[in-house]
Amino acid sequence: MLDVRDLHKQYASQGGRPGGGVFGASLHIADGELFTLLGPSGCGKTTTLRSIAGLETPDTGHISLGDTVLFDAASGALVPLYDRDIGMVFQSYAIWPHMTVFENASYPLRVGRKKFGAADVRKRTVNVLERVGLAEYIDRPATHLSGGQQQRLALARALAREPKLLLLDEPLSNLDAKLREQMRHELKRLQRDTGVTTIYVTHDQSEALAISDRIAVMEDGRIAQVGSPRDIYNRPTSEFVAGFIGRTNLIRGDLAAAVGGGALAEVVTSTGALRCLFPAAAAARKGIAVVVRPEHVVISKDSAVDGDGNRLAGQVVSEIYLGELMEYVVATDVGTEMLVRTAPGKHIGVGDRVRLSFAPEHTVAVAGVAGA
Amino acid sequence: MAVRSARPLRLSPAVVVLSVVLLALIIPPTIFLVQTSVHETNADGSFGAFTLRYFGELFGNPRLFGNLVNNVIYAFGSAAVAIAIGTALAWIVERTNTPMRRYVFLLSIISLGIPSVLYTVSFLLLLGKAGPVNDLLRLAFGSGGPLVNVYSLWGMIVVEGIDFSPLAFLLLSSVFRANDASFEEASLMSGAGLWKTFKNITLRLAMPGILALLILVLIRAFESFEIPALVGRPGRVYVLTTDIYDSIHTQVPPNYGEAGAFSIILLVIVVIMLVFYNRLSRRAERFQTITGKGFRPRVMDLGKWRYATAATLGVLFAIIIGLPIAIVLYASFLPYYDGVRLASFSTMTLANYAHVWGSSSFRDSIGNTIIMGLVTASLVGPFTALCAWLAVRRVRGAAFLDQLATMPLIFPAIVMGVAFLHLFLHLPFPFYGTLASLILASSVRFLPYGMRYSYAGVLQIHKELEEASALSGARQTTTFLRVVLPLVAPAIVTCWLFVFLVSVKAVAMAILLAGPGSQVVAVTLFDLWDNGQVTELAAMGVIWAGMMTVVSVAFYMLARRYGLRVH
Repeated sequence: MLDVRDLHKQYASQGGRPGGGVFGASLHIADGELFTLLGPSGCGKTTTLRSIAGLETPDTGHISLGDTVLFDAASGALVPLYDRDIGMVFQSYAIWPHMTVFENASYPLRVGRKKFGAADVRKRTVNVLERVGLAEYIDRPATHLSGGQQQRLALARALAREPKLLLLDEPLSNLDAKLREQMRHELKRLQRDTGVTTIYVTHDQSEALAISDRIAVMEDGRIAQVGSPRDIYNRPTSEFVAGFIGRTNLIRGDLAAAVGGGALAEVVTSTGALRCLFPAAAAARKGIAVVVRPEHVVISKDSAVDGDGNRLAGQVVSEIYLGELMEYVVATDVGTEMLVRTAPGKHIGVGDRVRLSFAPEHTVAVAGVAGA
Repeated sequence: MAVRSARPLRLSPAVVVLSVVLLALIIPPTIFLVQTSVHETNADGSFGAFTLRYFGELFGNPRLFGNLVNNVIYAFGSAAVAIAIGTALAWIVERTNTPMRRYVFLLSIISLGIPSVLYTVSFLLLLGKAGPVNDLLRLAFGSGGPLVNVYSLWGMIVVEGIDFSPLAFLLLSSVFRANDASFEEASLMSGAGLWKTFKNITLRLAMPGILALLILVLIRAFESFEIPALVGRPGRVYVLTTDIYDSIHTQVPPNYGEAGAFSIILLVIVVIMLVFYNRLSRRAERFQTITGKGFRPRVMDLGKWRYATAATLGVLFAIIIGLPIAIVLYASFLPYYDGVRLASFSTMTLANYAHVWGSSSFRDSIGNTIIMGLVTASLVGPFTALCAWLAVRRVRGAAFLDQLATMPLIFPAIVMGVAFLHLFLHLPFPFYGTLASLILASSVRFLPYGMRYSYAGVLQIHKELEEASALSGARQTTTFLRVVLPLVAPAIVTCWLFVFLVSVKAVAMAILLAGPGSQVVAVTLFDLWDNGQVTELAAMGVIWAGMMTVVSVAFYMLARRYGLRVH
């Protein structure tokens, strides 16, 4: 559906700092997919999105949507942004203050290359406003809408001419926390109902995990990993991805012999020898990173813990009550610290001796090193 | 590393056309100004041989030094007065709960509508020998007691200081407003007392703003013409602007070379100060952008003292606006002016108004001024809006446009008058003295003012508003017509009104360029004062100021509504 190949866009450095940009990003997005570009600010996700939209012209690379080549540096092809069949929701919503709700939403139907009759414009606009729940506000000035309503209007406008591709640039970042969670569900439902292929840009990893079919994590203008939310969370392929998505225990150790992809092997770490899962093949080397998610660690005051997992003993040094979860920091007897998350109600407190265990399939060895 | 595709350096045709227009407007008068100062001027006005004698004569003449000293005292004195009044007003309005404090902004509205000549004259009437202030002094101390002599350096300082105080108030109130209370609260929580907090935090944060304002007032004082001409000259106190005027108007034949040399010196002084000003105001802006999250300025509860501050506001209001308007109104109803006498009230008449309204030359003058203001504003408004839009959107080369359009700021009005005077005299067709020539010169002069408003206006339009239109399938022209234009329209209208108001207010350039058929109100008022026709001047001034106040109110209402900073 959408093909992005080897996209490069470098910004001029300003005031001695490197300008940033995108350095060789390639993506293939399937029809109807909700695809997320995730990464910290300055990682190139917005540049990638703006290049697809046509708001930026890449230096080199290739972008095509369906059968249409939007940009190709080699052949010099460049479709101007107003002729790309793409809808976009901006971070600021970009709702025109001098127009009504109807005028905003119907604008793409009135100015585009494809012409619609007045009755058709009306019908389609009402239709799309109904979809986002704004039909009753149709004749209001756009400035009379609340933040959440403006967001829906921006979405309606982007969908009005039923584009092939919908781009969402941090659409929820200006909403308050409660509204944001509600809008996640609405966005996902709307995307499924319309079936429009969507690219979603965010720096919020929990948002990305919640909403996406697939996620591409970006770092320094490159794509670090592409996969389903579960893959990204449970099988990170680099320290960067492991560290960026969710909280994690990162343990360093040495691998004695080469391992094949998907196999279990032992890594000698500061916390002792751990049996680890290697999602990808790895050669023997020192300083390999092992990642254990805090919620995969079983904590217990009993001395007898069943299972054949990795085991540690230690003492609780701090506890935090998070409502639906308890979070503990445990100082292990070998001198390291482990973060543990568990359901509340275990009657474990600061100073208690505890045992920790975690299964080898949740002890994931990461082949890539951060910054590599 | 990927190879960047080499894109040719292409300039938008709009940028090229606008740059050429700007260069054509700015370069010729500048060249003529410099040429005049280094060439003999022949009797027919053409340039003679190259010479440095005008500069030589100036630097050899003790008058230059004496006048420069006058200028410096005048500038610092009036700055002190303006900043003292401005600080008091700004602090009371922004930081206290004084009743009626919000009405102080009326000062700025009204003063924007009053021509400088009229304002200066009102103070001459108040402080002159026969004026009410001296009457009161005589009443208090007897006829042998101390009297105020307004025609002196002191008089100039007081009048200019008061004249500038509404603007000082506006600028300082934005400085005070920019100080987030949390900065001060953090200091108080750290254990610093009120005085230490004021000294280390409040004042330090406000300092760049205050310094920038100081330099702005100094520049204004160096450039000012009305007050030195009307207050200083009769008392034999001369400054650079009146030297320039006298070289052309008083000497026979006009000594254009001397005027040119004086102008260059004044220009250099202003450029140096502007460089300082820009540096300082950038720093001031940086200070202003450091604001906490929940931004709110602190308003102090003064308790009973708030009536004292309200009284202070009342007194300052009376001095800045109330008394000047009252005396002009009073004089406008008298058959002849000889101070404020109880007996005069019985002789009051509408004859002056009838005379002014009935005289075709007065009506022409008002008509000319309105045409000049309308055309100047209509040229400057859209032109600067387009330049500002290109500059804000970072179109290649548009930063140059911005700089060019701001350049005329370095010319004091009288210097620009001299420059255009020579340009017009050297044109092969008769242009000097026409209304069109006046319009051309004032359009150039007020370009920077228009640019400031347009830029601020365009800056408020989020770029994504335009991008959203393009992604909706709209071409550039559609986007410009349907999205950009409606959104910048309020800024253009505000800019238009402001340029209209300031262009009809000033006299310095018009007095050199206006001819018999192109008299404008400011020049007519100036001549009336010279002829001693005080009562007709007052009547015409009242009519004109009334009309302009209506325009000024419209300007403020729009500017406020669209959140543009007013100054």
